[in-house]
Amino acid sequence: MKSYEVKIAKEKLLPEAGIVKAPSPNGEQESMITGCWRVLRPVIDHEKCTMCRSCWIFCPDQAIEVKGEEMAVKLKYCKGCGICANVCPVGAIERVPELDFEGGVVRLEKLF
Amino acid sequence: MATQKVEKTKVDRIRSLAKAPMDDYYVSGHRTCAGCGPAINYRMVAKAAGKDTIFVGPTGCMYVANTSYLCVPWAVPWIHAQITNAGGIGSGISAAYEARIRKGKYKGKFPNVIVMAGDGGSSDIGLQALSGAMYRNHDLLFISYDNEAYANTGIQVSPTTPYGARTTFTPPGPVVPEGKKLWPKDLAKLIVGGHPSVAYVATASIGYPIDLMNKVRKALNVEGAAFMHIHAPCPKGWGFPADKAIEIARLAVQTGMWTMWEYENDEYKINIQPKKLKPVSQYLEAQDRFSHLTAEHKAKIQNFVNHKLAMLGIKVPVEAVTA
Amino acid sequence: MGTKKFLTGLGATATAVKMADVDVITSFPIRPYTGVMMILSQMVANGELDAEFIHADGEHAQLSISHGASAAGARTFTGSSGVGVTYAFETYSPISGGRCPVQMLIADRTLDPPGDFGSEHTDALGCRDQGWIMGWAETPQEVFDNTLIYYRVGEDPRVRLPQFNCHDGYFVSHIPGDVEIPEQSQVDEFLPPYRPVDPLDPQNPLGHGPQIFPDQGPALEAMRHNAMMAAMPVIEEAIDDFGRIFGRKYAPFVEEFMTDDAELVFFINGAHAHTARYAIKHLRERGIKVGLVKIRFIRPWPTDVLQESLSRFKAVGVVETNSSFGIARGGGILAPEVCGSLYDVPQRPLIASFMGGLGGEPITLKEFDFIAEKLKKIAESGKIEKPVYWLGFEE
Ligand SMILES: Cc1ncc(C[n+]2csc(CCOP(=O)(O)OP(=O)(O)O)c2C)c(N)n1
Ligand code: SF4
Ligand code: SF4
Ligand code: SF4
Ligand SMILES: [Mg+2]
Repeated sequence: MKSYEVKIAKEKLLPEAGIVKAPSPNGEQESMITGCWRVLRPVIDHEKCTMCRSCWIFCPDQAIEVKGEEMAVKLKYCKGCGICANVCPVGAIERVPELDFEGGVVRLEKLF
Repeated sequence: MATQKVEKTKVDRIRSLAKAPMDDYYVSGHRTCAGCGPAINYRMVAKAAGKDTIFVGPTGCMYVANTSYLCVPWAVPWIHAQITNAGGIGSGISAAYEARIRKGKYKGKFPNVIVMAGDGGSSDIGLQALSGAMYRNHDLLFISYDNEAYANTGIQVSPTTPYGARTTFTPPGPVVPEGKKLWPKDLAKLIVGGHPSVAYVATASIGYPIDLMNKVRKALNVEGAAFMHIHAPCPKGWGFPADKAIEIARLAVQTGMWTMWEYENDEYKINIQPKKLKPVSQYLEAQDRFSHLTAEHKAKIQNFVNHKLAMLGIKVPVEAVTA
Repeated sequence: MGTKKFLTGLGATATAVKMADVDVITSFPIRPYTGVMMILSQMVANGELDAEFIHADGEHAQLSISHGASAAGARTFTGSSGVGVTYAFETYSPISGGRCPVQMLIADRTLDPPGDFGSEHTDALGCRDQGWIMGWAETPQEVFDNTLIYYRVGEDPRVRLPQFNCHDGYFVSHIPGDVEIPEQSQVDEFLPPYRPVDPLDPQNPLGHGPQIFPDQGPALEAMRHNAMMAAMPVIEEAIDDFGRIFGRKYAPFVEEFMTDDAELVFFINGAHAHTARYAIKHLRERGIKVGLVKIRFIRPWPTDVLQESLSRFKAVGVVETNSSFGIARGGGILAPEVCGSLYDVPQRPLIASFMGGLGGEPITLKEFDFIAEKLKKIAESGKIEKPVYWLGFEE
């Protein structure tokens, strides 16, 4: 029987049925890094912060972490929406233009 | 459907943010708009449900914006459904586990099956599949995340779009000054009203995460089908700044535009009810989609809300409109 | 060694589904396929078959539920007829693209309008491009056998494709015939339990069906195409094994009848092959050298087998129990595929279509005489004057 099979170059082969592995819990989906979208960067004043976790629970991008005794922003994914600043009950988060940072998004030659 | 009940794990109540599960199963790395309400909802639902979960994701923003480039942001199994048939796909997964566990073909726990459908995929083109799943009482939780439009196709009117909203299919003009002319479909009531097997129906809002997550857990703990209707403001579609989704979500509850209730054991229970309601105009004026409305239109909406609250038995005064 | 029963096509299907130990069955009523669900629901009620028997909210739901169940590792069975088949159309490509080996019985029925119960293949053939394995059975025995063969081929890890297991409504679905029912142990040997490759399972979290980047599209489509091509050797293997275990030998793709010295052949899928066999015997008595080529699989389409088979004849009459308004050559769906298959072959027969059995009419012996007569003229004159004849209307 003649073969009507298509030879697919190895580098073009995809997972069968488009079924892909899930990321790990608390992990990240590195094929879609979104930190480069950011115009305003959330900056946490750790003196003011009461660790109430509001910013953490409301972040649509899982970009705020509870790191030991401090809250931290995952800049690789933070889109700069500002929700965290808006929900912070003590005003501990300031939104600072990326331009003000030496390594700010707009100054990066290669985005992450 | 099952003749012989397969055992399921039960999950506990979350008492405070400090006690909320640390683990995220909806992780960083998705291209939902900055400040997306439905993405916040996904995160909370996935957190509350935990690792033994399978998500069904019909076409809509929570499919398209989440799964770009052959990758997924969920740490638990997820399957795409058509916008039409998420209730069917969910029913099938649940039925498969019933059969496979009962017949000894699967060794493991019965998973949480959660359908995460948009308002279009649940109140309109996906309504039949939702109703079928509820009627047959498959063990699953169907969530309608409500961003009040067919958002992913560019914000077109859906049955849950409020009266008076501008969408790309209800543009206001001299002949149609109010934009959308119809009153929204009440999906949660529709489920309560006609699906006697469903043991748990609740509304929730991303503005109230502890309430939302506990309702998800309650819904997962009941045997058989459960339904949740979750208000999830969409900055792009509604026309408000990206940092305001939570503010808008809370305003909806504070004005009575969104009500928070649970239906269990043949009874409605109202949760999170402000002592005094703010006038709906405050909510409307915070969003560009209502910017064309006249005082007359706003009064009509206020009347509609008053009536809706009365039907639910909520009797609270509305603050006077301040100019 | 098994028992013999007198069963309709629907009875044969239900018996095979039970012996295949299906896990999830999704039902919705529409004639003529409905009977299979009546029988299966009784089997479940009696405890003879342990399966979830689901009352779906329509055919679209039947297929959607089957999709979810199959993706979650269950062996699933569903079915429909006529407008029920087309109502579910949206779901077919996602199921084959998700590589879920759902099996669907189609007992053919004419599409509306007209409101008509008869068998016509347009319902199933209209879905031929959706990535499902597809073929027709001629008798209740073949229905029984195909049900098992299709599961085995579709679930094979090299294939992983859903299957349209078709037979003509009424002619096969409702007319009983002798069916040899094998021992359960024979079925188990032929059809091992379904081992899903990548099921939805929290113990191994996977994402099924994410969006792609446009440049990933061609490869995914090519892979689904390759799966269909891979089905060919798997079908041959399955048919071999089937013969060994059950003692019934089929030609995998194309069955020939009285073709050794034939100059003319009827090319048929499905039940009308049965009448054709009688017609051929009568025609042979009159000295007309005619035979039958029955195609068992429409998808994958057996191009090479047909090239070898049909190039031996002078004229081929494609019997079309379907309609496609405005198609190439103005006839049915099959002839363009037959012509396309032979285009690359230097020695080609002349090919004409015969539209017959529409609306569920039987194709009579007289009509087969008519076909043979036309084919004879074509063979003698060496040319096609008319590519299509509508049986019953034309001189
Ligand atoms: C059968 C079908 N019709 C139309 C579409 C186009 N479509 C894709 S996404 C979408 C909007 C979905 O709206 P909704 O369910 O509310 O989810 P959202 O995008 O708002 O999150 C539509 C209409 C489709 N994918 N399938
Ligand atoms: S700005 Fe938005 S994305 Fe960034 S951390 Fe705050 S809430 Fe998250
Ligand atoms: S919301 Fe404000 S106070 Fe609370 S944890 Fe975040 S930064 Fe700290
Ligand atoms: S359009 Fe709305 S719902 Fe869709 S991703 Fe953007 S913010 Fe989210
Ligand atoms: Mg929507």
